[in-house]
Amino acid sequence: MIKFENVSKVYNKGSLVLNKIDLHIKPGEFVSIVGQSGTGKTTLIKTLIGEERFDEGRVTVGGWDITNISQREIPFLRRQIGVIFQDFKLLNKKTLFENVAFAMEVCGESHDKIKKIVPHVMKIVGLEAKMNSFPQEVSGGEQQRVAIARALVHRPKILLADEPTGNLDTLNTYEIIDLLLRINRFGTTVALVTHNREVVNRLKRRVITLENGMIISDQEEGKYIL
Amino acid sequence: MFLSLYRIIKFSLQDIIRNTWLSVVTVIIMVLALFTVNMLLVVKVIGQTAVEAVKEKIDVSLYLDSNASEQQIMVLKSKIVNLPEVSEVKYISKDEALSEFQMRYEDKPIIAETLKELGKNPLTPMLIIKPRNLDVFNNLINKIKNFDDAIIESKNFANYEEMISKINNITTKVGEAALALALIFVLVTFLVVYNSVRVAIYTHRREIKIMKLVGASNAFIEAPFIFSGVVYAAIGIILIMLLFYPFLNLLQPYLETFFVSYNVNLINEFFGQNVYKIYGAQFAAAVFINVVASFFAVSKYTKG
Repeated sequence: MIKFENVSKVYNKGSLVLNKIDLHIKPGEFVSIVGQSGTGKTTLIKTLIGEERFDEGRVTVGGWDITNISQREIPFLRRQIGVIFQDFKLLNKKTLFENVAFAMEVCGESHDKIKKIVPHVMKIVGLEAKMNSFPQEVSGGEQQRVAIARALVHRPKILLADEPTGNLDTLNTYEIIDLLLRINRFGTTVALVTHNREVVNRLKRRVITLENGMIISDQEEGKYIL
Repeated sequence: MFLSLYRIIKFSLQDIIRNTWLSVVTVIIMVLALFTVNMLLVVKVIGQTAVEAVKEKIDVSLYLDSNASEQQIMVLKSKIVNLPEVSEVKYISKDEALSEFQMRYEDKPIIAETLKELGKNPLTPMLIIKPRNLDVFNNLINKIKNFDDAIIESKNFANYEEMISKINNITTKVGEAALALALIFVLVTFLVVYNSVRVAIYTHRREIKIMKLVGASNAFIEAPFIFSGVVYAAIGIILIMLLFYPFLNLLQPYLETFFVSYNVNLINEFFGQNVYKIYGAQFAAAVFINVVASFFAVSKYTKG
């Protein structure tokens, strides 16, 4: 599903942020990518959605070689991948319903289809009663659930979560992780970037550890080893 | 296609309504800019009227021989009236000239005493010739110079030629200065509106980046902002028309007092037959500035 082949990336001032990364994430896997701040975890995610270019190697997402993807093709790539972020990245002037619907509107989906699917997805994340609220009117945990709903609404095969619990308390953290696990059970490949030791150890899933831009550990039922 | 158009309009109107204060400020700046432009037009109209009023006052006084008969004078008058450069010819007889002279200087008794001493009317009959406009003045002077008529006392128009040349110089320079000033104001107005739109879109930069991350294409992101530019321009034009009409109504009586006997009707000028031209042009310009500013401002955040 996701393949990194000998991928390296250097930032402008000569800092090597990804160093010959070789990584294969299979369909339906739940993978945690861990490491301390600055080890390249977020850069890995940004590479997958075309936000960062890399200097060497090849990246394939769902069979699509995105090594030399053009600017014009990037929106189409992003519509096939669900992404959630630490700071939720919701549109503050749109209601929760409109935030989720937006992901379908960019794909040109019809009004009727949106009216049918969005409430269903909002129900999955437990927010059907707050569809007409604005992001600033709900809690951090609820905002992250809306972000998950938005990421799922066009049924992506891959869901990338970049430190989704970084701004949340413990209770909300575990609620979000449980939601991600539920999504994974439905067949979606999930890549979770985190530096939360307790979450990783509790999951007992594949753990890829990065240090200085390199993979130093890749364990099937891994633990947070740093 | 209709669905996309519907969404562009929906997102644009949603953004305008939900960012109320930003929209209000953008419209206020637009209205102030349009007010400046309209005031420039008012100044241009008033200036043009003033220049025309000065030019209309210019006429040629042709002094005739005191012994010329009425018939001779009428023949000359009809010759001059038929010239294409002439709009009107007025005949002032010796007696009428004297009456006017006495009325003009009635508060100067020494003039009345001097006339009494002379014992006779020293003034001559004259023809006051009004040219159609200042541009044909030189032609008119040349034609009158070529008249072979014994009753014309003097064919020396050197003073007139010098005066006309000065007036033409001044009006040309005033026109050029006004144009330069107008261009500067228009440029300043353009920059103010352009930058206010860019600032408005700067406040949306986070949203633009989020829309990109969710998979929106550049066109899908840019189009609502561009449409908002059109909406702001339309609201601005409607408001300026609503504000400017009463303003002109207030100004009109003062202008009529200043330009006595001249027809300067600003309301007719702005809201009469020229209303579509004036406000249509302003709307087109406002739309152009807004669309260009929106496009370049949004493009900055949709790149990469």
